Amino acid sequence: MTTIPDRAAILREVSSVLAHELGVSPTMPIDERTRFFADLGLASIDAVVLSEALQRHFGRTLPFHDLMAEIGRRTDRDLAIGELVSFLVENLKL
Amino acid sequence: MPRIRANDLSFHYQQTGDGPDVLLIHGVTGDLSVWLLSRTMEILGRSFRTTAYDLRGHGYSDVPPSGYTSADQAGDTIAIMDAMGIDRAMLVGHSFGGVIAMHAAALYPDRIEALVLSDPSFAALRHLEDLGRWGHWEDFRDEAAEAGVALSAEYWYDLAKFFDQVMHLDGEQLLRFRQAVGLPGLNRLLRLGKTTCGDDAQSVAGLTEEVICSVTQPVLAIFGEFSPFLATADYLDRNLRNCVGARVSGAKHRAPEENSEGFVDRVNRFLLETSASTLTGVRS
Repeated sequence: MTTIPDRAAILREVSSVLAHELGVSPTMPIDERTRFFADLGLASIDAVVLSEALQRHFGRTLPFHDLMAEIGRRTDRDLAIGELVSFLVENLKL
Repeated sequence: MPRIRANDLSFHYQQTGDGPDVLLIHGVTGDLSVWLLSRTMEILGRSFRTTAYDLRGHGYSDVPPSGYTSADQAGDTIAIMDAMGIDRAMLVGHSFGGVIAMHAAALYPDRIEALVLSDPSFAALRHLEDLGRWGHWEDFRDEAAEAGVALSAEYWYDLAKFFDQVMHLDGEQLLRFRQAVGLPGLNRLLRLGKTTCGDDAQSVAGLTEEVICSVTQPVLAIFGEFSPFLATADYLDRNLRNCVGARVSGAKHRAPEENSEGFVDRVNRFLLETSASTLTGVRS
């Protein structure tokens, strides 16, 4: 039986990928309220690279096209790390 | 991260789909993510092998100190096509990406089959435009002023001057500026400001009116309904031999972001019609 990682475990994975693949070293610990662009200083191109790294990390293709298009529709074009965790929880179940 | 070496530089790219080749070229200070945020990659990828790349100096591509004219970067486009084994392609360029696409079509007519020019502003056609009409810029300037950065109204299009002002802000001013104007990629902007990009992007670099008018490939000239560059749109429609004009409703300068559905639908239709047609040189 495949074990689905819980939110806390996925948050740790995301933080690890951010640190190792994108060189993110925030002054405050990353939590679910941390905003990708406003707090971490990242740009949408970093989201493209992060999505590749996460797919590699989890060993499967995930519908990041939909997530990117959703960000594209937002006025502030930002994404809370908690939303990314929810996206991964939802799609890793499938 | 997929990367390809061309013109002695490493370019970050993304590719999806199968079929005739389409290359997507973003504008100055942008990156290839615009084509994902707008679903352009996804939708064109259903019918075409669609490749987007970060221009030199942008995104995850290398940042050389110089070589940012439309001629230099048309050379990058062709070098990337060579490195990927792409003989002929249709180009979709937004803003300065459209200028690069036009220059590539003029310099390498046997490699470029068709063009989508999204809100380009050509240095050689700048005399056509009333630059004060760019509401987007005026909003940006007001926001920047609140953050303590005075941007010249006269030289609003002067990227070199803009970069110069931003680079002289101290840490606190930079933070306020970034929050005020919503520029998440500020570090990359500052990196670009140390190159010749600002000046190069404003130079004619050989793309004169005569050269622009020499382009005979099918062109879709697509502009925002409220674009600041509608005089350029009219000029292209009047002077190119094989040009279809289109407006994206509700959009200003950044149609791929401001009305992505309208933009992508029109671009996709043009590319499908053009690739299906065996006739060239005929106004469709």
